[in-house]
Amino acid sequence: MTTAAREASLRPFGKPSRTWWLAIIALSGVVLTGIAAWVIQLRSGMGVAGYNDHAFWAIYIADVITFIGVSYGGAVVSAILRLTGATWRAPLTRLAEGTAVVTVLIGSALIIPHIGNPALLWELLARPNLSAPVFWDFVAVMTYTFASIVFFALPLVPDMAVLHKGHAKRLGKPRATLYATVSKGWVGAPRQRRVLAGALGLVSIMIIPLAVSVHSVLAWAFATTSRPWWHESIWAPQFVVAALYSGVALVILVVAGFRRGYHLEGLIHERHFIRLGFILATFSAGYLYFTFADLIPGAYVGDPSTAAVFQKLLTGDLALYFWMFAVFGGLLPLLLVAIPRTRNTKGMVTAAIFVVPMMWLKRILMVTAPGAYDTVTGAFGAYHFTWIPIAITVAATAAIPLLLMVLFRVVPLLSIDEIEEIDEMEEMEGLEKSVAAHPRTEPSEPASHDEKLVGATSRSHRAAGATGVLLLVALLSMLGVSAAAPAKAATSPSAPAITLTGAEAGGAVQLTAKLISPNGLPRDKANVAFQLLTKEFGAQGHLVPIGSATSDTTGVATLTYQPTVTGKHEFFVTTTAAAGAKATGSGTTVEVTVAKSAYHPAPAKPLAGVGKVLVGVLFTIVASIWLTLGAQVVRVRRVTRGVQQTTISSA
Amino acid sequence: MQSHTTRPEDGSVCPPPGAAPEERQGLTRRNLLATLGVAATGSALAMVSYQDDAQAAITPKAATAPEHAWCMVIDLRNCDGCKICTISCQSRHNLREEQTWIKVYDMPDSTGGKFSMPRPCMMCEDPPCMYVCPVGATERTDTGLVLVDTDACVGSRACMAACPYEARYFNWTEPPKSKRMPMPNTPEMPVAKLGTVGKCVLCADRLPHGELPACVEGCPMGVLYIGDLVTDIAVNGLGKTVALTEFLKNNDAVRFKEEHGTNPRVYYILGHGQNLGGTA
Repeated sequence: MTTAAREASLRPFGKPSRTWWLAIIALSGVVLTGIAAWVIQLRSGMGVAGYNDHAFWAIYIADVITFIGVSYGGAVVSAILRLTGATWRAPLTRLAEGTAVVTVLIGSALIIPHIGNPALLWELLARPNLSAPVFWDFVAVMTYTFASIVFFALPLVPDMAVLHKGHAKRLGKPRATLYATVSKGWVGAPRQRRVLAGALGLVSIMIIPLAVSVHSVLAWAFATTSRPWWHESIWAPQFVVAALYSGVALVILVVAGFRRGYHLEGLIHERHFIRLGFILATFSAGYLYFTFADLIPGAYVGDPSTAAVFQKLLTGDLALYFWMFAVFGGLLPLLLVAIPRTRNTKGMVTAAIFVVPMMWLKRILMVTAPGAYDTVTGAFGAYHFTWIPIAITVAATAAIPLLLMVLFRVVPLLSIDEIEEIDEMEEMEGLEKSVAAHPRTEPSEPASHDEKLVGATSRSHRAAGATGVLLLVALLSMLGVSAAAPAKAATSPSAPAITLTGAEAGGAVQLTAKLISPNGLPRDKANVAFQLLTKEFGAQGHLVPIGSATSDTTGVATLTYQPTVTGKHEFFVTTTAAAGAKATGSGTTVEVTVAKSAYHPAPAKPLAGVGKVLVGVLFTIVASIWLTLGAQVVRVRRVTRGVQQTTISSA
Repeated sequence: MQSHTTRPEDGSVCPPPGAAPEERQGLTRRNLLATLGVAATGSALAMVSYQDDAQAAITPKAATAPEHAWCMVIDLRNCDGCKICTISCQSRHNLREEQTWIKVYDMPDSTGGKFSMPRPCMMCEDPPCMYVCPVGATERTDTGLVLVDTDACVGSRACMAACPYEARYFNWTEPPKSKRMPMPNTPEMPVAKLGTVGKCVLCADRLPHGELPACVEGCPMGVLYIGDLVTDIAVNGLGKTVALTEFLKNNDAVRFKEEHGTNPRVYYILGHGQNLGGTA
C-alpha cells in the first residue's frame, strides 16, 4: 500500500502518453475558443451573449455559482472527513482539494465575462461600496480561495519531502527543485507532524464556515434585491446545500477520471465511490427538500409577482426544465444510491454525471426566471442563448480537467503521507491488513451540517390589502377633487381697488390686502387670492398660489405665509369681481430673514445605524481569517526549518 | 519505509535538545499570536477610516438642510399617453428607442381598461440601486438626485436587479455615435458608454439654471410637474404653478410601490380609479 501510493503518485511524472497529449490539445482548443468568444463579447458588448434589459443577469452568473459551488464540495468534504477522522478519505483528499482550488479559480475568473466593464474591476479594491452585497461577495470569494489554496498546499510538504528523498531521479529536474524548496527541512519529526496536523486541523475547521459564508453571500446578492423568488429567506442555505451537492458529484467525476487515467484501482476502490455516493445522496435529499421548501410558501401565498414566476417555473414554459432537474438532478441520483444493484462505481459515476449539469440548469432557472420578470408590467422578457456564452461555459468546463491534468503533473496526485500515516495507524491498531477486501460498515455520512437553516418564511406582500388601500385613496381623491371645486367668485359687478402690504413677523410673513370698492367703502366678502413670485423654474417667473382669504367688513383679508427660503419675496394679490370681470391686483415685496424648509425627510430606517458597526466587525473577522491562515503557513514553514537546523547542528 | 529513515533520527536527536526548541516554538507561537492581534486591531482601525467615506456616500445628506429637494409630480388625470415626454428626453440625451429614461406604460386599470403611466427615475430617498452598487458608481446629490458616474460603472448590473421600478437599462451594444458636438461625460449629463448602466437624471444639468427637464417642458398636457420640496413649489410645462404640499394633499397624491420603503420623490395623482400597486 505504502509503495503503491508513492508509485501511483510518480506515475503522472513519467513521459506523458499520447492520450494525455491529445486530451491536453483538445481541452486547450476548447478553452481557447472560449477565450476568443470572450474577446468578441468584449469588443461588441454583452448584447452578443444574448443579454438584454430583461435578462441582465443570466448564464455567466449561473456559471459563477456553479463553479464556485462545485469547489466547496472538494474542500468541505475533505475537511469534514478529516475532522471526523474518516480514514478512508486518504486516497481522495489530494484530488478533492485540487479540484476545489482549480474550480474556485475558474469560478472567480467567470466573473470577468459577467461584468460589463471588466477593465474597471480594480475599483472593487480602490473604491468599494461597503453596503453592497457584491463587494462582500468578492471579499468572501477571495478569502475562501486563499483558504482552499492553504488547505491544498500544507499537506504537500511531507509528500514532496518523501518523493524528493526517495525518488529524486524520477521527478525530473524542475520538479525536484520545486520539491526540495517546498519540503526543505521536513524530516517527519514528531513535532513537525504535530504542528502540521494542528495547522491542518485549524484550516479544516475554518474552511467549513468560509465555504458556507461564500455561498451565503452569493445568494444574498440575489436575495437583497426586491425581485420575486430571489427575495426568499431560504436562498442562502439552499445555495450552500446546492454547492455541496454538486461539489461531491464533481469529486466523484474527478476521482473516477484520474482513477481510470492513472490506473489507481489499487488505491481507490468501489467502496470509496459508494461512500461518496452516500454523501451525495444525503445532499440530494437535502437539496430536494430545500427546493420545495423554497417554492411552496410563495406559491401558496400567491403574491402576484412570485406566483407569476412560480407558475412559469412549475407549469409554464420552464416547467420542462424544472422537472427535468427534479427528476434527473434530484430523484435519479438518490435512487441510484438507494438501489443495491446500482450502488457501485458505475452507478455513482452515472449519478454524478447527472447531478453536475442538472445543478447548473437549476441555477440558470433561478437566475433567469425572476430576472426576466418585469416588476412594473408583470410581463416576462427572455434570455436567448447564443454561441458566445455557451463557448465560454464549455471552455470553463474544459478548463477543470485541463488544469487538474497539468496540476497533477506538478504536485503528487495522492496525499502519500496521509495514506502512509493512516496505513501505519491501522496496522498498529491490528486492523485487517487489506482494507479493500473487507469494506467496513462505518457511518458514511459526514457530520451533519450545522449550518442548515430552515427558514422558509416567505414575505407576504399583502397585495390585496394594498390594492384596497389604493382604491380607497383613489376614491377619496375623487371626492377631494369634486370638493375642491373653484370657490365662488365675488358677485359684485364692479371690481374693487386692492392694496397689498406685507411684513415679517415671528418667522412668518403676514400679508394684508385691503379692498376698497369704487364707491370708496371697504369691500367685504370678496375672495382674495395670494400669490408668490418664484424664479426657481425660469427667469420669466411663476406665480405660486399660496392661499386665499375672504375680506371682512373692514375690507381686509389676511394670510400668514410660512417662507421656505430667505431673501426678497414678491407677493401678489388678486381678486375677481363678477365672473368674466377683469381681476385686479397689487403686489408688495418683503425681505424675509427667517425661513423654514418645507421639506421633511423620511425618518431613518430602524436598522439604519447597524451597518456601520457591522462593517467594522466584518472587516475585523476577515482580517483575522487572512492572518490566521497566513500564520498556519508560517507555522509549518518555521517548524520545518527549525527541526532541520537542530538536526544539522547536532549531527 | 518512512519509519526506517526518519523515526530513529528523531528518537536520538530531538529529545536531548528537544526542550529548547519546544520552548522556542511556544514563544514564537505566542509572539505570532500577539502579532496577529496587533495586526488585526490595526487593520480594523484602518478599515474604519476606510469605511467612513463609503458610509458618508450612502448616508442621505438631507440632514444639512439642502438648498433644493427636487421632485416630480405626475398628474395622471391629464395623461393621454402621447409619449412626447419620452421622445423629448431621448432626443435631448441622444438615446436609442428602447432606452427610456421616462417610459410611458400602458397599465391596466381596475375596470379592465387601460391608462397611461409615465415612469421616470423615482429619485428615491433610500435608493436600493445605490446601496447595491459594488463600486459606489451611483451617488445621491445634496438635492436628492440619484446619479450614475458611468466613468466608474463596472457594469455589474446589481442596480438593475435592485430597482423596483425597472428604471435602469444597460448599454449592451456600442451606443450610436452622437451627431452633435461631443460633450464631456458627467453624472449630470451622461454620454452613453458600452458596458455601463443608464437611467433618468431629471435633467440635473438644467435644474440649477431654472430650466425645466426635457420631459416636463415637452409634455403638451401639463401632466409632468417639476417640483422642489424645500420651496414647496411645482411647475409644469404649460406654466401652471402650484404650492406643492397643498397640491399633493388636495389631490391625494400617492407614490409608486410605497411598500418598498424607498421613499420615491415622484408623486402620482390618480384620477381614473387606477391601481398603482405595482406587481412586486
